[in-house]
Amino acid sequence: MTRRAVRRSGLTMPVNTPRFVDRAWTRGCDYINLDLEDSVPEWRKPQARTLVRAAIGNVSKGRAEVFTRINHDYVQADLEAIVWPGLDRVNYPKAETADEIRKLDRIITSLERERGIRPGTVQIGANIETATGVVNGYEMASASPRIVDFGGGTGYDMSRDLGVEMFVGFDQFVYSRGELELAARVLGLEPTNTPFVANLTGSVSDTDRAFQEADAARKCGLRHGSGLHPNVVEPQIRGLTPPPEEVDDARRVLETYRRLVSEGKAWEEVDGRVVDKYEARRAGELLEWTEACAERDRDKAEAVARTKAAEEREEST
Amino acid sequence: MSMTSPGISGPSPGVSGNAAVRRSWLLVPLSDTTAVEQAWSSGADVILLDLAELVAEVEKPAGRERARHAVETVSRGGAEVFLLADRELLYADLKASVCRGLAGVVLRLESAEETTEADCLLSQMEEERGLLPGTLQMVPALETTRGNFNAMEIALASPRIWGLTLGRADLEMDLRPEPSGELHMMPYLMQRLVTVANAAGAVPLGAWWRAPARGLLAAPEDTLDAARRGRTIGFKGSMCLRNNQVEALNLGYAPDPEEVREAEALVDAWEQAERAGKAVAGLDGRTVDLPTMKAARALTARARACAARDEAKAQAVELANEEAGEEAHP
Repeated sequence: MTRRAVRRSGLTMPVNTPRFVDRAWTRGCDYINLDLEDSVPEWRKPQARTLVRAAIGNVSKGRAEVFTRINHDYVQADLEAIVWPGLDRVNYPKAETADEIRKLDRIITSLERERGIRPGTVQIGANIETATGVVNGYEMASASPRIVDFGGGTGYDMSRDLGVEMFVGFDQFVYSRGELELAARVLGLEPTNTPFVANLTGSVSDTDRAFQEADAARKCGLRHGSGLHPNVVEPQIRGLTPPPEEVDDARRVLETYRRLVSEGKAWEEVDGRVVDKYEARRAGELLEWTEACAERDRDKAEAVARTKAAEEREEST
Repeated sequence: MSMTSPGISGPSPGVSGNAAVRRSWLLVPLSDTTAVEQAWSSGADVILLDLAELVAEVEKPAGRERARHAVETVSRGGAEVFLLADRELLYADLKASVCRGLAGVVLRLESAEETTEADCLLSQMEEERGLLPGTLQMVPALETTRGNFNAMEIALASPRIWGLTLGRADLEMDLRPEPSGELHMMPYLMQRLVTVANAAGAVPLGAWWRAPARGLLAAPEDTLDAARRGRTIGFKGSMCLRNNQVEALNLGYAPDPEEVREAEALVDAWEQAERAGKAVAGLDGRTVDLPTMKAARALTARARACAARDEAKAQAVELANEEAGEEAHP
């Protein structure tokens, strides 16, 4: 069984801004998303492309996975510049059709062969940000095995495409977000959606809100987070990692359920709540997720310690 | 138990169509003999005899043995009887339960093929038991991701389909509350189901879920809120587990008396204008248009149907009580 990827927090940053890129490995996030798209001005894109290969090694010193967001309109040039060993994923913005995904898959496949990368290593993230993308969601999500998670249908670009207000106190994307999550689930992909949490300011560094959203996501069984500001990394990881009391509770639920099964019962009411196969399944998933988070956190901590030690040695010599 | 139980109150013509009043579906596990004995007096529009959800595997054979007798006894209070069957054990479940008096089957379905398969089995059972072809209705429970994804093809796969329900989608799909209080994805799934059901000519039934309590243990007042809200967004009924939730569903899924009074006044105004030969009807200074009048007529008709259903059940209960009395004092 392949373990579920742990992607609780990830920072998106322009690949051509050294002060972000050089410190990325110290941020503690599960992945880094190097941007060639909206945060890089048009005239700087050619130079930005040349930076990705070195940045992959740089930002992964703390064992974060490395993603790169390419431009919808420069697929060939961008992919040639970024598909190098160490790249985990290509994020493709404003994805609209299955043909686009298949084209991406073909180019990545040949670049993997050319550059000695194990076939199928580089995943594709399809960012759904337009009405057309929502309508074609299921087809796109099933167009390549490189797509392992799926969702979206919200955000700035979506609101512009639909002519919908961005910062309102209710869920203005019920349909588009539901449609894409249903597609993700029916295909067995990890949903990348978050629950609706009102956001009236648009602040990207609000730590309270980041925690609220991550905490709500965890409680809904969602496991994915992303961000733009280093401040939100810690609250996102905290929110998406099950707290000890939840882990204890899950263990108790499983114990109770095992007893029920041995007694030939389907369910029982314990302290005003039902314990049944559904609760047991959820508890089991939660324990697995907790273990995956712990393993990921250990890996990252070790890598950060190693890198720091190596840099200190370098400084002292 | 009465030996002279009144004639089985199977769905009579006109009652089983889309207009059938099936607001409350009381789930009665066939493994629970007390629940089976008490169900007839619950006041539920429909008793849903359960062989699938709340019955442990080891108890299923015993549950099946009780099924046909239970179809008779639980309908003494005028309820219709459906079976909640396990699709994987459908043949065994149907063989044990199908008889005159069983109105249909609720079962979890995920695709058109599964639906066709179930339809064929129902035809076979009808033939075997001497029932008119098409007597047994089907209510697919769209509880899984796949079932919901394939909702439209399922809804169109069999002419037996009377309704669609989200059943235990909240549990099967593990949908938990968001900070807004809504279950994750549920507003989307509910609207999707209501749309698909109406497009396919089926009746949309709500999930088992009652805000805010998880599962089936919701207090009557929460059940009433959920039912009212369900009716507001287009559902015509819901399932429940406890006798004390039945009244809440019957009430919540019936038109609100205040709304009915307004609708009656509207229809009156329209009819008066018609009699007076006026082209436009007015009420309290507002013009009444045709769609408004039609909606008002539908609402009053629904209210009358609900009242008639309640009256029929009350009479059946009275009759059953009399018989029980005669039996006690022969």
